[in-house]
Amino acid sequence: MREAPLHGVAAEFRHPDALTGAVEALKAAGYRRLDVYTPFPMRDLAHALGWQARILPWIAAGAGLAGAAVQYGGQYWMNAVDLPLNVGGRPLHAWPAFVPASVIVAILWAGAATLLAMLAILRLPRLDHPVFSVPGFARVSQDRFFVVIRADDPLFAAGGAREALAALGPDRIEEVRGA
Amino acid sequence: MTADSAVQPGARQVADRALARGYGAAWLAALAVSGALIGLLVWTLGAAWIRGVGVWGVNIPFVWGFDLINYAWWIGVANGASLFAAILVLRRHDLRTAVNRFAEATALMAVVCAGLFPIIHLGRPWLFYWVFPYPATTELWPQFRSTLTWDFWAISTHALVTSLLWYVGLIPDLATLRDRAPTRWRAQVYGLLALGWRFSLRHWAYHQVAYRIVAVLVLPLILVMQSTVAFEFASTLVPGWHDTRLPLHFVTSGLAQGLATVLFVAALLRRTLRLERIIDDADMNLLGRLVLAASLAAGYLFLDEALSTWLSDPVRQRAGLERFTGTYAPFAILAFLLAVLVPQILWWRAARLGFWGPVLVGLSVNAAVWCDRFSLLIGGLQRGHLPSLGGTYAPTLTEAGLLLGTLGLFAALMLLFARFVPVVALYEVRHDEHQERT
Repeated sequence: MREAPLHGVAAEFRHPDALTGAVEALKAAGYRRLDVYTPFPMRDLAHALGWQARILPWIAAGAGLAGAAVQYGGQYWMNAVDLPLNVGGRPLHAWPAFVPASVIVAILWAGAATLLAMLAILRLPRLDHPVFSVPGFARVSQDRFFVVIRADDPLFAAGGAREALAALGPDRIEEVRGA
Repeated sequence: MTADSAVQPGARQVADRALARGYGAAWLAALAVSGALIGLLVWTLGAAWIRGVGVWGVNIPFVWGFDLINYAWWIGVANGASLFAAILVLRRHDLRTAVNRFAEATALMAVVCAGLFPIIHLGRPWLFYWVFPYPATTELWPQFRSTLTWDFWAISTHALVTSLLWYVGLIPDLATLRDRAPTRWRAQVYGLLALGWRFSLRHWAYHQVAYRIVAVLVLPLILVMQSTVAFEFASTLVPGWHDTRLPLHFVTSGLAQGLATVLFVAALLRRTLRLERIIDDADMNLLGRLVLAASLAAGYLFLDEALSTWLSDPVRQRAGLERFTGTYAPFAILAFLLAVLVPQILWWRAARLGFWGPVLVGLSVNAAVWCDRFSLLIGGLQRGHLPSLGGTYAPTLTEAGLLLGTLGLFAALMLLFARFVPVVALYEVRHDEHQERT
């Protein structure tokens, strides 16, 4: 049986501070394609690695405005243009009555777009991933911290990723295989 | 596993609770009782479906009864609870760890109960899709100048956005359950629901922003929801309803009601699941004070009602006097007593931290808001000028089944939630425990 292609090398840490130190050292050493896995969000470390979801609020706002426009326009077109129904001489374009549904639908579109955009950007759902094959990786959902130097890092080909990780004092080092 | 448990008792304890094989006879008994009440609900709704809304006590002038009272009541629970959860997410408050997951669940289950009513009280529930604009062969469009169509958009959005807030926060915890599940098929179920979450820090960055965006969206949504219900009354010409202060009254008492429900659920979970360490005294203390503050705000709104009645025109004055002295006065007076006076026991620290104090206040404020909605709705409709309109509102037993049945539905959903899903956010507990250790 052929061995699965190499995805990277993983190092396991027990403490968030050890992980932060390790990631900073690897960045200083010039590694760029790092994956970090933590049991809870670590905002400062994510910012240091340039992982910020700045686009999400804009997507939500855009989707909300589009939803409001579609809802308002739809109500106007249906009640004032396509089916103008005279009810006691009340105005056909009754904008105050059209506002509540427009606001509500804007919220609906913004919320749905947020979830869908998040999943699309993160390429989820993805039930299988090479990193799951690392023995003991399930502990990341409880109390272990992992950093992975990916095989597509320019520095990786030169070798020495394993040694670079070993110098940071992790609990253990594992190869990550799979596609 | 014992050595591991010593490392992170809190998060493990909650996760393993959801994965436990059995859950005790008390849980099963509670589920059986609520299951029986759901049976009652099915029977009640079935009667209304097959025989029509004539099985209820509604008639001219009481065109609205339990159907609308319960709807407004459940919406109050949902809004108060989700407003609270959303504010906790946005403020990154310490209390969030303990309570925001089950506050979100409380909101979601209440929306499910509320969502039944607008469909059922249409009278011909199987035609509910008529309010949705679709290209019908009749070539007619819904009439958007009618408030009825607001309900459709409001309820469906409320249900979706509330479940979104709950689910987005839940994804990483479902992944923890996937990793700890004792059997393969449970790991598969939790794994599918977790969408392959792998705790990547980059994913966390997006997740936290998405969670906060949804929380931001909940804030305007619930204000719109609660005031939409109120505006639907206010846009009629019934003297007790035609009032611009009504949305504020609904929002304020709804918030007190939702907070009291969260306090009630917190006390129950703390006691039954032994979560005293996670939902600790500081949490109960703060939550109790919030309920107290909300009930004082509700009291202020009652005073505002008295003042605005006194300052308004004679017709409005008569309607206002009627609310506190007329046929249905006991409901209005009970509402005031139960919503404003009973929560005053929360001034005592012992009452906030105990079990019976929160339970009493939770039940009392909820009963109060129900009485308040009854008094507003039925009392508001009562004035007529024909002798034939002189009777009082007489709800039928079938109608009472709507209230009991939705209570059962809510209880059953909450019991299942507490059984299969972590009742607090595991990753938050984990974070706090790491910080405590360092």
